[in-house]
Amino acid sequence: MDSLQSLTAESFTYPQSYSFPPFFTLQPNLQTRLSQLRKWSRLIQRYCRHYHIFKLSLVSALDTSLFKNAELRKRLSLNDALQVVDWMTRDEGGRRAEWIDGGLDAKGGTAWVYWKRPEEWAEVIVGWVEETGQKSTVLTLYELINGEMTVGQGTVSRDWRPKSNAHGTLDFHGMDPDLFQRSLAVLVKRSKAQVFGSEDQQGVKFF
Amino acid sequence: MFLQPLDLTTALRPTLLPDEALLFVQDAVGLYEGKYKIPGLQNGHAYLTTHRVCYVDNMEPRKSSTAVELKSVDRYEFYAGFLKSSPKITLHPKAPKRASIQIRSHSTIPNPQRAAQSPSRSSTTSPVHRGASAFSNSGSGSNTPRSNTATWVCTICSFSNPVPANFDTATANSNTPLPACVTCGVKPSFPHVLKASIANAAGRQGSQSQSQAAVQPLLESHGQYRENSSIEYIEALWREESALPAKSRFQCPRCTFLNHPSLLACELCGAPLLTTESKAAEVLGERIGRPESPGPSLDSASLGIDHDMECVKFSFHAGGEKIFHERLKGAMVQRKWLLQNAPPVPDSSPGNAYSTAIPIDGDIGQPSVRARTVGIAGLERQGLELRRKNEAVIGSAFEDLDALMASAKEVVALAESFAKKSDEGSADANQLIAESAKALDMVTTKDMLGSSAGSESLYLSEMARNLAEYLTDDAKGILRKEGGIMSLVDLWAVFNRARGGVELISPMDFEKAARLWEKLRLPVRLRQFKNGLLVVQQADRTDDKTIAQLLSWLQELHTSSFIPEVGWGHEAFGRGVTAQEAAHRFGWSVGVASEELDMAEEKGALCREEGIEGLRFWENWIVDDESDDFDDDINVDPFFEIDQVMKNLEDMGIF
Repeated sequence: MDSLQSLTAESFTYPQSYSFPPFFTLQPNLQTRLSQLRKWSRLIQRYCRHYHIFKLSLVSALDTSLFKNAELRKRLSLNDALQVVDWMTRDEGGRRAEWIDGGLDAKGGTAWVYWKRPEEWAEVIVGWVEETGQKSTVLTLYELINGEMTVGQGTVSRDWRPKSNAHGTLDFHGMDPDLFQRSLAVLVKRSKAQVFGSEDQQGVKFF
Repeated sequence: MFLQPLDLTTALRPTLLPDEALLFVQDAVGLYEGKYKIPGLQNGHAYLTTHRVCYVDNMEPRKSSTAVELKSVDRYEFYAGFLKSSPKITLHPKAPKRASIQIRSHSTIPNPQRAAQSPSRSSTTSPVHRGASAFSNSGSGSNTPRSNTATWVCTICSFSNPVPANFDTATANSNTPLPACVTCGVKPSFPHVLKASIANAAGRQGSQSQSQAAVQPLLESHGQYRENSSIEYIEALWREESALPAKSRFQCPRCTFLNHPSLLACELCGAPLLTTESKAAEVLGERIGRPESPGPSLDSASLGIDHDMECVKFSFHAGGEKIFHERLKGAMVQRKWLLQNAPPVPDSSPGNAYSTAIPIDGDIGQPSVRARTVGIAGLERQGLELRRKNEAVIGSAFEDLDALMASAKEVVALAESFAKKSDEGSADANQLIAESAKALDMVTTKDMLGSSAGSESLYLSEMARNLAEYLTDDAKGILRKEGGIMSLVDLWAVFNRARGGVELISPMDFEKAARLWEKLRLPVRLRQFKNGLLVVQQADRTDDKTIAQLLSWLQELHTSSFIPEVGWGHEAFGRGVTAQEAAHRFGWSVGVASEELDMAEEKGALCREEGIEGLRFWENWIVDDESDDFDDDINVDPFFEIDQVMKNLEDMGIF
């Protein structure tokens, strides 16, 4: 994560709110709070997409520039950050996150950040399979995530993709295996894929 | 001209003239002109002052409030009320001087209207009403030639004795020898004969109402008639009526016995005296009119300026009439309006110009410049000086009439204070204290309101008005000094201090009164912040105004005060403010300021920043969604379960 961050740190632009001091205090007014949560949600998703983060540990992320504005000397408190992510996991937050270790009460503070939800990833994978004519062939999970053939589809596109056509061209190369399995599970449920094999050597066949 | 227009204060109370003092307030009062209700003036407050009787309407206080000046009141009557007819106090105007001749001629012929009314026997009219006359002064008994046929009815044997021919109503007094009753030999009382004689003299003029009008001034002049004992008065009325000319009596249709006009059934044979149609009319009137009040009302608003009023009645729907009557009596005796233009008393001892003059009158407590002496000697000396001063005032006042007029004010004050001192001591101190409270303009005291059932609420509503006046008084500028808003506790303290430590208001009463402001539509309002703090504000000062004020200040900060080391877009966001800064800026107390900021935050106008420096408030840029870019496909919208269902349905091939 650190190496990725150092590579592309200069290219991430923070929103204007990021330099507004009250942004780092969770607002008591419900309407203001809703706007604030939406803005934080958008910021976290953009940040994670930019740095290709799928799993966010709040405790360690708290000192990164995501939650801490060094210039303002302001930081979102751990409690507030938990509130923000918890909001993202709920329906009104668009289910843009999911607690991995029991959520808010467990104080674990690690969550999936769904800048794409598994269903959306499933669409992306199906799109790629159709594009490359891989239907009905058996592929291993390892080669899908780490293999040479999926490298190009994301990293390149991020540089030249037109803003309007952003959807559906993002890469799943280097994706978290667990999340990838979740996405495949969606496809299996829709009977568009079949997963077989044992722990290490899992294969998948798309229909 | 009898009903005068009335100026009201901001708190919808009568504006008092200089020297005018409020004596009594009563709510639920209606106004009558003659026998008729005045439409639109049927539910209001009656304010009795030393100069006027004011009516302030509850519904339309600005439009239909009116006053009767006591100086134009000739006399007043008290009617105790009967069944559903409320107690009333009638004020008769003084007759205009120019009309006296015309009146004489008018009064000698029987009033056709009155003659027509009498047989109709409307059961709602009381004896007092019937006696009401516009020209009360006209038939002065001393001017009318005495009648030889005057009779007085013996109280023992009811025999009608002739009044002796040498009995002159104008000159006779209690020492005049009176002959005993012809049949039983018991001597009559002087007032009894006097009344009979006057009644007779007036009755000859064809209208029994004149008699009663004439009786009172005469009796008063003889000092025999005690107006405060209403029983005696009603008795007198009754006796007059027993001496009515036969014409105005009511003949029984069955046995032709001449009944007293107020009887409903024949005294002799028991036959009903009311005709069927008048009964029907009565029943009808009962059904329609009762929920309101039985009296008829004027059909047209004939309250013109040049309209000659017969008399004005104050009808007390909720009691309080007795005290009102008492105080009215007092005010009529004191005649304070006469003193309004009296010049101050010339001081006889110029070297002692500012010595303490009359301590009872509260507002003469001028700072004294005399030499200070301490201890008992000082007190003694003070007392001595005071006595000397009073002596001088009284002495110079009686030197000649001019001097008396000049020093009238102070003499009256002295006389009042002496009168009070001669009373029993217990109520004395209270009275004195109330007096000094009144001098401070804090006029509503519990003492001033009656002890009737509604007096608690009346007390509160009067205090609410009192408070509103106090707050909106420009001279004091209480609210302005506090930045247009102050906490109720502060106001309570200030108000009680202004009362000079007497007639203090309990916090509970105070809060209750403050809560009445909104109901009474007064120009101040009570506001509760969300943490429970109660504050007082001008009614027109709304939250929106406060927010606008705060925002414009924050706008100013965008450019005015530049802080060099800021890390945020100073031009875009301005700067955060603390409650202290806001308090300093607007002259609020810090508590109020933080509450106002909280309020603005709650309305979404501000947002907060918590930091190690404390709580700061900023313009709310967070709700402004446009400030962030929408360049990508990041989705933060709520997730709807319905999508999932639709998708499932789609997958199952239904769509």
